[in-house]
Formats: sequence, structure tokens, C-alpha cells
Amino acid sequence: MRYSPTLVDHFLNPRNAGMMREPDSVGETEDAACGDLARFFLRVRDGRAVEVRFQTYGCGPTIAAASVASELSRGRLVDELTRLEAREIERALDGLPDDRKHAADVAASALRAAAARYQARRD
Amino acid sequence: MSRRVYLDHNASTPVHPEVLAEMLPYFGEVFGNPSSIHAFGREAREGMDRARERVASFLNVSPQEIVFTSGGTESDNFALKGLAGARGEGHIITSQVEHHAVLRAARALEAQGFDLTVVGVDEFGMVDPDDVRRAIRPDTVAISIMHANSEVGTLQPVEAIGRIARERGVPFHVDAVQTFGKLPIDVNALGVDVLSFSAHKIYGPKGVAGVFIRKGTKMVAVQHGGEHERRRRAGTENVAGIVGLGKAVEVRARDMQSEAPRIAALRDRLWEGVWARIPEVRLSGHPTQRLPGTASLLFRHVESESIVLGLDLKGIGVSAGSACTSGNVEPSHVLVAMGVSVDWAMGAVRCSLGRSTSAEDIDYVVECIEPLVRKLRQAMPVGAA
Repeated sequence: MRYSPTLVDHFLNPRNAGMMREPDSVGETEDAACGDLARFFLRVRDGRAVEVRFQTYGCGPTIAAASVASELSRGRLVDELTRLEAREIERALDGLPDDRKHAADVAASALRAAAARYQARRD
Repeated sequence: MSRRVYLDHNASTPVHPEVLAEMLPYFGEVFGNPSSIHAFGREAREGMDRARERVASFLNVSPQEIVFTSGGTESDNFALKGLAGARGEGHIITSQVEHHAVLRAARALEAQGFDLTVVGVDEFGMVDPDDVRRAIRPDTVAISIMHANSEVGTLQPVEAIGRIARERGVPFHVDAVQTFGKLPIDVNALGVDVLSFSAHKIYGPKGVAGVFIRKGTKMVAVQHGGEHERRRRAGTENVAGIVGLGKAVEVRARDMQSEAPRIAALRDRLWEGVWARIPEVRLSGHPTQRLPGTASLLFRHVESESIVLGLDLKGIGVSAGSACTSGNVEPSHVLVAMGVSVDWAMGAVRCSLGRSTSAEDIDYVVECIEPLVRKLRQAMPVGAA
């Protein structure tokens, strides 16, 4: 198997998948080259993302990346999430093959967009 | 996970035990170079001659009209470049749904100065023979249209196109890699001048294939060297592989007709099972003019690679209709040519059945695919594509 057990687990059992009712912020990224799309919903209390949900259209690694990103961002300061790097998502998946690095990029970028949008509205 | 189900026979097949048994001596006892005139060489040559006769008999042609190659891709390249090279300049006709071995060989010839017409297909993936007729010019040097499409299984009206080619005196090449050994092929009835075929799609080994070249067809060699294959394709022959190809086609000639209805029934069982359980799914390709064992399923708003991965984790091998390489994803050129919209084409999954496929296998696949697609759709924003 070219994917890590962690990635396979998140692909088969995605955490926090689906829409959120009345989110405090939504962010979306579409990878033009590959057509993959990720959308993150945030519920924020006291500057922290207390609930994170996602929808994604993409290959297995993209689904897994969005799932793991929703887990690792929960409870963190939204300000911090505006600087979330794809590397962190990739590490949490125990790695991605070279030709699937974009999975972490799409998830990170969508999550950053959701965080930035929240901050912009607050400022 | 214990159960394994292979539904990717259009990609490759396992070597048939009878084929393997016939090949084995050619790795040891019978090792001579078939071009050598001593007994060692002659023994190898005999094995190769027998294979050539078997292939010729399947196609209803003479053994002298068969040239062995290293694979379907080489056969297609040889056919197009060999026909074009014999004229040096002119016009080539092919279709949008050809295998890349034909399409890219044609594009390479275009880059060298040949004119190229690529005819389209209808919603079922079928070429209209009248489009071919209209495309013919006085300087047309070759028409290349496949027999059956590997992705959607549609059979092309090869006989009608062959008639047109013959009327106009244009050499006609048919890529029959997906039909050779699966359906009866009479190249005389079909009006074919050059035909590509391969071994590993019909339970023969990989790395061996061939081309039928009708006597009198002007073609130049693409690979130069020794006097092999009547100077049409240089290089010491893959004797064991060729022996395997010959045996494979002999076994297929014996088994294919009884097998086709069984496989077609299993293909219908798969489609009916999927259709009854999963919303927004379609079967692409022609409803009747199709390969018996190919089902190209389109799942709307799901990404095909995620289905392939999900089924792989259940021990099931199918193939994705869209390919994602290094972050660039393209829907299949065949589905695009058929006018399938992106939201359907991105969810294309090809299941291709074979001799070992059982009803239990099909039921298992249907059982696995239903919850998988449901789950994937939950995570996906509908209409995102």
C-alpha cells in the first residue's frame, strides 16, 4: 500500500465530514490543476475553533488530509490557524507520496481561508 | 481482508496454466536463437512457427502476414509509422477515442509534417463511418480505427469503415488489442489491412504482441537491424513469449464463444446490482455493440480514484477512468469525446471481467461499492465538480 495506515484510516472513517449549520466562518480552496476542492466550516468561541467540519471533493488522500486537518485544528486559536502549513497536515498523515502532496496543500489552504475570513470579519 | 476480486482484465490478465506449461521449455531446454541454422536454433524456430500458424489461423490469414512485436504499443506505432513512412507524406485519419499508442503516434507523425484528421464519436463512443468517408482525401495514407474501446467497451463499425477504405484504396489499420481472442476476427470480412493484437490481455505473457500485415501492403520498418520477421521488425524474437501468445490464442479460440455469454451475464448482474442500490449512476458505452466483459460505471459527484482506493482496501481491483498524476487530473479523453460532462466523467470506474470472475465476486463488489459511494458522497459537496 502506498499510503500510510493513518491516511487509510482517515479516508475510510473521515472525522467531522459534512456541513455545519450556521458556522462562524467558511473557507474554500479549489486546486485548479487537479479539480480537488475542500471547504472548511468553523465554530469559534473565545478566539478558538471549537468545532471544525469539512466537505471535500477529491481523491482518497485529499479526503484524509481534510479529515486529519479538522482534528488537528480543533481547539486551536483561529489566529494560529491562519498560518497553518501543509507540512503539519502531511506529518499528521504520516506522510504523502510525492504525487499526492497537493492533498495537504488543498486542505491547509481551505482551512487558512476559513480562519482568515473569521479574523477579517472580527477586525 | 482475505477475499480478492480482480476486475481489471482490460488492463492485464494472469497467464493461463496451459500457456505457462507450453512456454516453460523455452526458458531452458529450447533456448537457441531462432535465426541460428543449427538444431538449437531450429528448435526455437519451430516453436515460433507453430505460434505464428495459430495466430494466423485465428485471424484467417497466412502465417507470412504475421509479425511479432514487444507489445500493443509497439504494434500500433509500427502500424502507423510503417504505413505513413512508406509514403513519406500525406494525410492520416484516426478517431478521438483511440488508445494513446495510436493517438500519440499519429500526433508524432503530424509533428513530422503529415496532416491529421481526428474524427469524433457519438454519445456511445462510436465512430460514424460517414465521417471517415468524408475525411478521406486523395493523399490519405492510412485510416486507423480501433476495434473495441478499452475504457467503455464500445465496438466500432470496423466492417463498414473497412468497406469504405477498400473502395477508396486507403490502407486500414485496426487496433484490436481489446478484441483479439475475445471475439471472432476475420480480417478479410472486415476489410482490414493491418491489425494490432497483444498477448497479455488474453491470458498470455506481457511483452509480446504482433501485427497482421496484409500481403502487398506497403510498410517500412520502424526498428532496424537484422533480418528478423522478414525484415519488417528487427531484433531477436521473444521466443518463449511468442510461444505463449500462440498457445493463448489457441485456448481462446476454443473457450471464447462459450465464455462470452457467461461473462456478459455477470457484467449485467454487476450493473443491475449497482443501479438498483446507488442513485446517480450510469453505464457508459454502447448499450448493445460492446465487449462482453466491460462495464464503465459513472458515479456522479464522486471522484473515481477515491472509489478505486476504497475498493482496493476491500481487495477489489478496478481502474479509474480519470487519472490524477502529480496533482493534475484529467477526465478520460474517451468520455470527454463522448460528451460526458465533467461531474459524471470524474467518477468513472471501469470494471472488466474475465474467465475467473464468479457471481460471488460480483455480489461482493456490489456489496462493497454501495456503502463506499454513499460515504464518499457524504463527505463531498454535491455539485462541486
